[in-house]
Amino acid sequence: MHADIPGLFDEPTCGHNRQKDSKERKKGCPAPKPGATAGGCAFDGAMITLVPITDAAHVVHGPIACCGNSWDGRGSLSSGPDIYKRGLTTDVGENDVIMGGEQKLYDTILEVAAGQAPAAIFVYSTCVTALIGDDMDAVCRAAAEATGLPVVPVHAAGFVGTKSLGNRLAGEALLEHVIGTQEPPASTPYDINLIGEYNVAGELWPVLEVLDRIGIRVVSKVSGDARFAEIAWAHRSRLTMVVCSKALLGMARKLEQRYGIPWFEGSFYGTRDMSQSIRTMVAMLGDPALAARAEQVIAEEEAALRISLAPYKASLAGRRAVLYTGGVKSWSIVSAMQDLGMEVVATGVKKSTEEDKQRIAQLLGPQARMIEKGSPEELLRITADTGADILVAGGRNQYTALKGRVPFLDINQERHHPYAGYSGMVQLARQLDLAISSPVWQQVRRPAPWERSDRELSDRAPGFVRRPGAPELQQHKDSQQHKDSQGGSGLTSLTASAPGGQSFQGGEDGREVA
Amino acid sequence: MADMVTSPRRATIDPLKHSPALGGAMAFLGLHRTMPLVHGSQGCAAFAKSLLTRHFREPIPMQTTALTQVTTVLGGGGALAEALATITAEHTPAVIGLLTTGLTEVSGDDTATEVSQFAASHDGPDDPVVIHASTPDFKGGMQDGWAAATQAMVSTCAEPGPVVNGQVNILAGPALSPLDVEELRLLVEAFGLDAVVIPDLAGSLDGHLADRWSALTTGGTTVADLRRSGFSQATLATGSAVSRAAETLEKLCGVPALVYDRLSGLESVDALVSDLADISGRSVPRGVRRWRQRLADGLLDTHFVLGGVRVALALEPDLLLAVGSLMADVGAEIVTAVSPTRSRVLGRLPVPEVVVGDLADFEQRSADGGAELVIGSSHVGRVAEQLDVPHLRMGFPVYDRLAAQLRLGAGYRGSLSLLADAANCLLEHRGTRHGASLHVKGARAGDTCSAPFDSPGTPLPIPGETGSHVTKEVSSC
Ligand code: SF4
Repeated sequence: MHADIPGLFDEPTCGHNRQKDSKERKKGCPAPKPGATAGGCAFDGAMITLVPITDAAHVVHGPIACCGNSWDGRGSLSSGPDIYKRGLTTDVGENDVIMGGEQKLYDTILEVAAGQAPAAIFVYSTCVTALIGDDMDAVCRAAAEATGLPVVPVHAAGFVGTKSLGNRLAGEALLEHVIGTQEPPASTPYDINLIGEYNVAGELWPVLEVLDRIGIRVVSKVSGDARFAEIAWAHRSRLTMVVCSKALLGMARKLEQRYGIPWFEGSFYGTRDMSQSIRTMVAMLGDPALAARAEQVIAEEEAALRISLAPYKASLAGRRAVLYTGGVKSWSIVSAMQDLGMEVVATGVKKSTEEDKQRIAQLLGPQARMIEKGSPEELLRITADTGADILVAGGRNQYTALKGRVPFLDINQERHHPYAGYSGMVQLARQLDLAISSPVWQQVRRPAPWERSDRELSDRAPGFVRRPGAPELQQHKDSQQHKDSQGGSGLTSLTASAPGGQSFQGGEDGREVA
Repeated sequence: MADMVTSPRRATIDPLKHSPALGGAMAFLGLHRTMPLVHGSQGCAAFAKSLLTRHFREPIPMQTTALTQVTTVLGGGGALAEALATITAEHTPAVIGLLTTGLTEVSGDDTATEVSQFAASHDGPDDPVVIHASTPDFKGGMQDGWAAATQAMVSTCAEPGPVVNGQVNILAGPALSPLDVEELRLLVEAFGLDAVVIPDLAGSLDGHLADRWSALTTGGTTVADLRRSGFSQATLATGSAVSRAAETLEKLCGVPALVYDRLSGLESVDALVSDLADISGRSVPRGVRRWRQRLADGLLDTHFVLGGVRVALALEPDLLLAVGSLMADVGAEIVTAVSPTRSRVLGRLPVPEVVVGDLADFEQRSADGGAELVIGSSHVGRVAEQLDVPHLRMGFPVYDRLAAQLRLGAGYRGSLSLLADAANCLLEHRGTRHGASLHVKGARAGDTCSAPFDSPGTPLPIPGETGSHVTKEVSSC
């Protein structure tokens, strides 16, 4: 392995590790548990961080599983080039495994350079090609020479760790091979870097528009809607903002060490956090005129937002949400939902640091639950226990919620709606409201009429003759409706209508149900 | 008929191929109370799970042995044993469907020994059956994984025994959608036969709202079904991907195998229906005859629209043969047919050559051939956009349209539905310029593909669920 992985764990800005002693720290994070693990590999993480560089080609050196099963699945949008969307791979076969895949990789890079005209080529190692020991660095050097393009090796084979380690390794690759290799056409004292923002569903654009009005220039983005060149001149910026990413804090720290660029952590989710991030930015840039303009823009945006949010706030006020998402988002989204008057009754802290947890406790109050292990069973149970109206989580849990008849909002990578910035708040409010107040819940939570009458039958004295549509049944239906409309989650009402779960037998077998 | 050609290009651009482990996992998802387990690093399972979830819009049970660099070098056997034990303890599945990856095949793990050791120490009535398929990423694609998994299902579970008359196996291939599988079951049952469907995705991934969430599959073939498949009178294997499993059943249990390369198109369905009449000793039921008449009529109606149309296809081998042949049956001109992997059935396509390649090949050849309709997964959407031609979504993955699992393509009814979908897709694209009424009697009012099923007097019984599914099918393309 090329990158110094134990070295990466020796990372003072990683909250996880800060709490460990130095010996513990070198070991890194605990290994995933076989048979009880969810989530992507380091290769996935590296792709998440680098693929949004839109004018670069991203070549996966490995067998088909790595690229074939994942390309075209990422939600980062581009305002221009779309080379980043192509699925490019060496698709190593049995022969390459035996003979080595270096020649095939070299040929592939040359073909991609010729056929796609990219600004640069990122080359990703994967488990099999790392295991058979292909010398990717040598191939990349030779290919760079032959093509005249930057060819950047990314050593984040899946088996070295989790997605978040992959994010970090991608940051290392940028520091080692890209940043500082080009000079910007012009510089101003208002140039900043954004790190960890991937322009999912295009949510970066409205944020950039607001910053632009204030006079802040985002000259380098890692890496939403980025061009290769802008990352190459990130060393000339005056400030770095790390957007909701623990994994890339190390990158910001190294930019500070090497180039003296100060940095801060912030979030664009929620009115409070958005305004706070802007204020920190202008304060750190240290220009009073800029700060004054920022206050003016914040005031305008917040005033406009109050008006557009009013109808949603009325219907969302007091609604309860269970939030399950990784790390930083757990507090940044909490604050966005509280801004809407909602109550976050539980939140995931699996990837959160102690610092995150303290922040959450402050935000939510002492009675809020912290979810350490967010298995689907656990999420559904907590949703039911807390009487939550909605589960807000990553796409992976979408169908957990739906099968549990619980309203759901997707806030991770694959989502289709932009939630960042002021305009994102309106979108977030709208989507939350649509999900919670959809007419589908009442329909799917109610058992089929014959199931209800079957149950009634068993409750009745022997000799009762069932007559479908008889007044008794009607009455039952009404009382059911009453239960449903009293609110609470689908689970609560489902449990209420199915004491002990007796009436839902045969449910394990789809065919019996059909 | 067709030669297989490949492009001299070394780079793969926009792959059409998926990993064999993904195909194997999909097959295992057709077994009841099952957990597919991918033996490799965690990313392999995560990608496969996420893609299957996007396609089916269902929770997809899947676990991983989560190998790390260290456990890989030391040997993954310990992680495998731990994963099997953990899944058994946490979920008590009936089946664990074990799939290997490139990593575990390269590092030379002795997976078979680990599995037999686990089986020896876990042989209680509540313990799961572990079915192990070898699916290295660097060899073959989805269809090959499906083949390996279905063969492993029968070789692990099927028991020889006295023949049960009237019981037949349906070995379902990857070219069938879950609703196709149900169609086939209904067809076989219409002859008074008892169908053992392996694997039965209609029971698990048909998109049903079960009573509660489950960590395992909520339907599909049971282990008892797999066992009794050895007693069947015959095996009907639908597609080349399950021919190995059918041969295994024949060898192991003496169940005679009938292999159908495709079940789309009048003549190919006729072959199956005649066999069913022979096996059951019954005459062809009225409802089946009626659907044959409807398909015959649909061929007449759709040939005005599809005849002479230049069609480009990018699909897995069995599906490519089925859809390509059906298009040829109605007089369309196939300008290119691209398959991700080699397969002997590709030779039967009525075209001069089949390209084994990626979507860059597909784009090039579709453009060169002046394609007017492209048929393939959501990944093909970009090509359709570039060429500005209509795109009929078929195959895997379909994530930009709903109800992929309910698209029909097999049997009389399925063939008709597919023809109508293809014709409507073209008409919709042509828009008002030509007028939607153009010769399309078969598509009838509304021009949606579900129209033929709503006709009165449907002779095949459709369970209530099926009816609502059909209405879920929102788009003809
Ligand atoms: S775990 Fe390894 S083999 Fe699997 S997808 Fe990730 S990099 Fe590829």
